[in-house]
Amino acid sequence: MFYRPATLAEALELKSRLGQDGVFLSGGTDLVVGVAKGRLEVGHWIDLSRLAELVYVAPEGDGLCIGASCTHAMLEASPYRGLAQAARLVGGPQIRNRGTVAGNLGTASPAGDVGVSLLAFDAEVELLSLRGGRRVPLREFFLSPGKTVMAPDELIVAVRLPRAEASGFLKVGKRLSVAISVVCCGVAKLADGRFGIALGSVAPTPLRAARAEAHLAEHGLNPASIAAAADLVSEEVRPIDDHRASADYRRAVSGVIARRLLTEIAGLPDSL
Amino acid sequence: MATTETKQPQSQQGDHPWRLQFTCNGEAREIDIDPHHTLLEVLREDLGLTGTKGACHEGECGSCTVLVDGVPMNACLILAPQMEGREVVTIEGLASGDVLDPVQEAFVKEGAVQCGFCTPGLVLSAKALIAKHARPSLQEVREGLEGNICRCTGYMKVLGAVMAAAQNRENV
Repeated sequence: MFYRPATLAEALELKSRLGQDGVFLSGGTDLVVGVAKGRLEVGHWIDLSRLAELVYVAPEGDGLCIGASCTHAMLEASPYRGLAQAARLVGGPQIRNRGTVAGNLGTASPAGDVGVSLLAFDAEVELLSLRGGRRVPLREFFLSPGKTVMAPDELIVAVRLPRAEASGFLKVGKRLSVAISVVCCGVAKLADGRFGIALGSVAPTPLRAARAEAHLAEHGLNPASIAAAADLVSEEVRPIDDHRASADYRRAVSGVIARRLLTEIAGLPDSL
Repeated sequence: MATTETKQPQSQQGDHPWRLQFTCNGEAREIDIDPHHTLLEVLREDLGLTGTKGACHEGECGSCTVLVDGVPMNACLILAPQMEGREVVTIEGLASGDVLDPVQEAFVKEGAVQCGFCTPGLVLSAKALIAKHARPSLQEVREGLEGNICRCTGYMKVLGAVMAAAQNRENV
């Protein structure tokens, strides 16, 4: 069956009733491919494209709240520079006009650029079901490739970011567009003094470089602390060899792009 | 009823056949489709609009590019019921009679076509790009076309055609 609920309540009711057999559909840039390639079978689609209440970007407190169905194209204009850069590097224009922020998170790809960027901001995911709502820090959200902490009846309705002073995102792929990240990295200097450093395609889930972050929180941003943090990033990643790159390459590149980003947000000239 | 009420959107559910109402190339259409079919399948098989091509079926190549409410999207990634009430333009919707759209005209003039399979998608991406940037730089053209792959003629003549079309549009 194909369902096009007109209200959020109705969408949640359908999901609660259909459980795992009901699949929320938005941009379809991942799910529809899964079906076309025979990787995924869907009994019931619950299409969210009528729910205009999930499409917004609004300031909230000091930070930002992003509706689940915002497309990557909408995020390209975000004042959160690292997020805008990550959104800009997803797919090509056709994909960015279609794919949504919630889809990027729900897919739980270790290589999801927007998820990695949001992780650097220490974003929080808002989940909703008929049972009620809850907020989950993104760092606790991803479990393994394709798996998250979401219950079968839950829907991602929003993502919240705290205020950030500076941020950036870099991606290394096989080419500049429509490419899956070989390694990607997002960094953020949050208004409360914390640093976020997140990496993609270097572990089964997007990964936070906690030791590197702690080092920066203690020593601030300067050439020596940045060099040390970049070395820690290379130690903390847990990459594998695959058809896109070797683990050694990923490990080395992780440190390099983290250093470049941190140098940039520190306003220092890059030595390389 | 004396006053017009705001029409509440009705929820829809069902299986095959699914009644889809949308605008295609300026014409209101109401057709019965399989709701599990993609927009690409509906365009090609139900409406006979075979100008929209399918190649990779995973959003990598851009050969199925159409404009939805003026914005380029991959028809292979859209399930057709999602197009309810939306306005879709395919390559068949650009020319009026024998008069080609300026972008089509530029592709012909610059020789930006070889086998032609990627051409409808490239033309529609170019249309959207020119609508967004009246006078695009070469870099903006490259970025606007980054979701479309050509495997035979290469991109130089395509870039030239799009730059020329944008220029001509400015002169009009």
